[in-house]
Amino acid sequence: MSPSADFQPKIQVFEPHRASLPPVIPYLKEFWNRRSFAIELSRFADKAEYLESKLGKVWLVLNPLLLAMVYFLLVTVIRGGNTKTNGLTTLAHILIGLFTFYFASNCITAGAQSITTGGRLILNQAFPRALLPFSSSISAFQTFLPTIPVYIFVIIIGKIFFPATQVPRLAISFLWVPLIVALVGITGFGLALLFATMNVYFRDTNKLLSYVMRIWLYLSPILWLPSMLHGWHRIALYANPLGPVLSATSNIWIEGKTPTLSEFIGAFAWAAGSLLIGGYFFVSRERDFAVRI
Amino acid sequence: MPEELAVRIEDLSIKYKINVDTKRTLKNAVMRASKGEKVRMRTVEAIKHLTLDVPHGSVLGIVGANGAGKSTLMRSIAGILPPTEGRIIVNGKISTLLALGVGFNPALSGRDNIILGGLASGLSKDEIEAKTEAIAEFAALPDGFIDMPVRTYSSGMYGRVAFSVAVNMTPDILLLDEALSAGDASFKEKSFQRMRELCSEARTIIIVSHALATINELCDSAIWLHKGSMLAKDKPEAIVDQYLKFLDVGTLPSNFEDM
Ligand SMILES: Nc1ncnc2c1ncn2[C@@H]1O[C@H](COP(=O)(O)OP(=O)(O)OP(=O)(O)O)[C@@H](O)[C@H]1O
Ligand SMILES: [Mg+2]
Repeated sequence: MSPSADFQPKIQVFEPHRASLPPVIPYLKEFWNRRSFAIELSRFADKAEYLESKLGKVWLVLNPLLLAMVYFLLVTVIRGGNTKTNGLTTLAHILIGLFTFYFASNCITAGAQSITTGGRLILNQAFPRALLPFSSSISAFQTFLPTIPVYIFVIIIGKIFFPATQVPRLAISFLWVPLIVALVGITGFGLALLFATMNVYFRDTNKLLSYVMRIWLYLSPILWLPSMLHGWHRIALYANPLGPVLSATSNIWIEGKTPTLSEFIGAFAWAAGSLLIGGYFFVSRERDFAVRI
Repeated sequence: MPEELAVRIEDLSIKYKINVDTKRTLKNAVMRASKGEKVRMRTVEAIKHLTLDVPHGSVLGIVGANGAGKSTLMRSIAGILPPTEGRIIVNGKISTLLALGVGFNPALSGRDNIILGGLASGLSKDEIEAKTEAIAEFAALPDGFIDMPVRTYSSGMYGRVAFSVAVNMTPDILLLDEALSAGDASFKEKSFQRMRELCSEARTIIIVSHALATINELCDSAIWLHKGSMLAKDKPEAIVDQYLKFLDVGTLPSNFEDM
C-alpha cells in the first residue's frame, strides 16, 4: 500500500537520556510552531476561571491597586506626613512598581504550578512542556496590560488635586517601556521554568514561593527608592533579579529619564540568565515529568 | 530504518521509579538529609527488552492483563515516556487517544477542548478550526452538549469526543488505548466504520483493548504482552486464542520458556 497523500516523512527517535538537553533547535522550532497553543490555553484558562465571576478579571487589577494605597499610607505615615511635596510622586512610584512586580510574580507563581496541574495533558500528549509556563506568562501579561491605563488614570486624577507635583507628562523615555516590560516578562518566564521544575520534584515549592514573593517585594525598590542606596549597598539592587528593571521602571515613569547603562546591563543580564538557567533545568528534565506527575 | 516501517522498537525497556516514602516535599527532603536518611525508591520494570517492527498501513492489536505494560508502551511510542534503555524510531505524524482520556479541561466546553487538543498536537489554528465542525459532527452529542463544559458530560460522551478528535486528525500513526470501550452500540458501529476507513487509507493503527472481539475484527496482527515482555506475535485469532486459554487455565504458551 502506498502512503497517503498528505504523508510527510518525519522521523522521530526516542532514546534514553540523562539530564541532558534534547536537540535545542528542533525543540525551539516545535515550541514556536505551537505557540498558538499557549496563547489559546491562556485565553481558555482565563475563560474557565472567570466564567462564574465577571469581577474576577477586575479583581486582578484592583488587588495591586488597593495594596498600593495601603503601602502608600504606611510609607507616608512612617515618613511623618510630608505629603505636600512628594506625596503623589511616592504614590506613583509605589503604584507602577507594584504593577510591574505583580506581572513578574504572576508569571512565576502561575507558571510554577502549570506543570503539576497540567496532569492529563502531560500524560497524554507530547509537546514541548515549556509551552505551559509560557502560557501562564501570557496570562500574566494580559493581566498586567490594563494596569497601565489604571496607573495613568490615577496620576491624572492626582495631578488635578496636587497640581504642584512633579510627575512627568509624556516623555521620550516612555519609548523604553516595551523593552523593559519584555525584560520583566522574560525574567519572570525564566524563573517560572526553574520553579516549575522544582515543583515537580518538591510539591511544596509553591507554598515556599508565596513567602519568597512577599519577602522579595520588600527587598525590591518599590516601597523604597533605588536612590536611597549608596555605595556598596547598591549591590542589593543588582543582586535582585527584578532590581534593575524596577529601578529602570521608576526612572522612566517617575523621572521621565532614560534608564542608566548599569540598569540596562543588569536587566539584560538577569533576563538572559534566568531564561538560560531556568530553560536548561526545565528542558533537560521535562521528559521526566510524565513519569513523576 | 527501512522505508516501509512506521514504528521500530529496538530492545526497549522502561522503568518507573516510585518513591515509596512520604510525599515528595522540600520539607521532607531537608528532614531526611538532616537525619542522614536515604530516599527509598522502588523500581517497576513496565517494559522489558521489547523488540518490535510495525509496518506502514498495518493494524496492530495489543492484548495483555492489567499492568502488563500496554499503556506504558503506547505512551513511549507517542514520545511521552522516554525509554530507560533501547530506542524507538517513529516515522510519521502521531495522533493519540490514550487511557485516562485526552487532556480535556473539565471547565471548558467540548468545542474549546477540541481546539486546544488540536493545537497541542501541532495543528495550526486555521487547520483545527476547519476540522472542529467535522469532529463535533462525528461525536454527535445530543442537545448541543458540545458547547457545554466537559464536566457535565457522561463518560460515554467524553469518550465520543475524545475518539472523534483522535481519528479526525489525519494521523499517519494512530494510537488507541481502550478507546472504543465507552461508546454505546451505535457509536461503536460508527467508530468501527471510521477505523476501517482509516485502515484502507493506509494509516498505521495500534489498538489496545480488553474487548478481544475488537482485536479480532480490526487488526491484521497482534501481540500479547505479559509483565512487560512480548510473549507472542501472530495473527490476531491465534493470539486471542492463546490469551483466552491463559485467562482460563493460567498456563503460559509453551514457547514462553525460550524467551
Ligand atoms: N505513573 C506510574 N508510576 C509508576 N508506575 C507505573 C505508572 N504507570 C504504570 N506503572 C506501572 O507499570 C506497569 C504497567 O502499567 P500499564 O499502565 O502500562 O499497564 P496496562 O497494561 O496499560 O494495564 P491496564 O490493562 O490496566 O490498562 C504496572 O505495574 C504499573 O504499576
Ligand atoms: Mg492501560
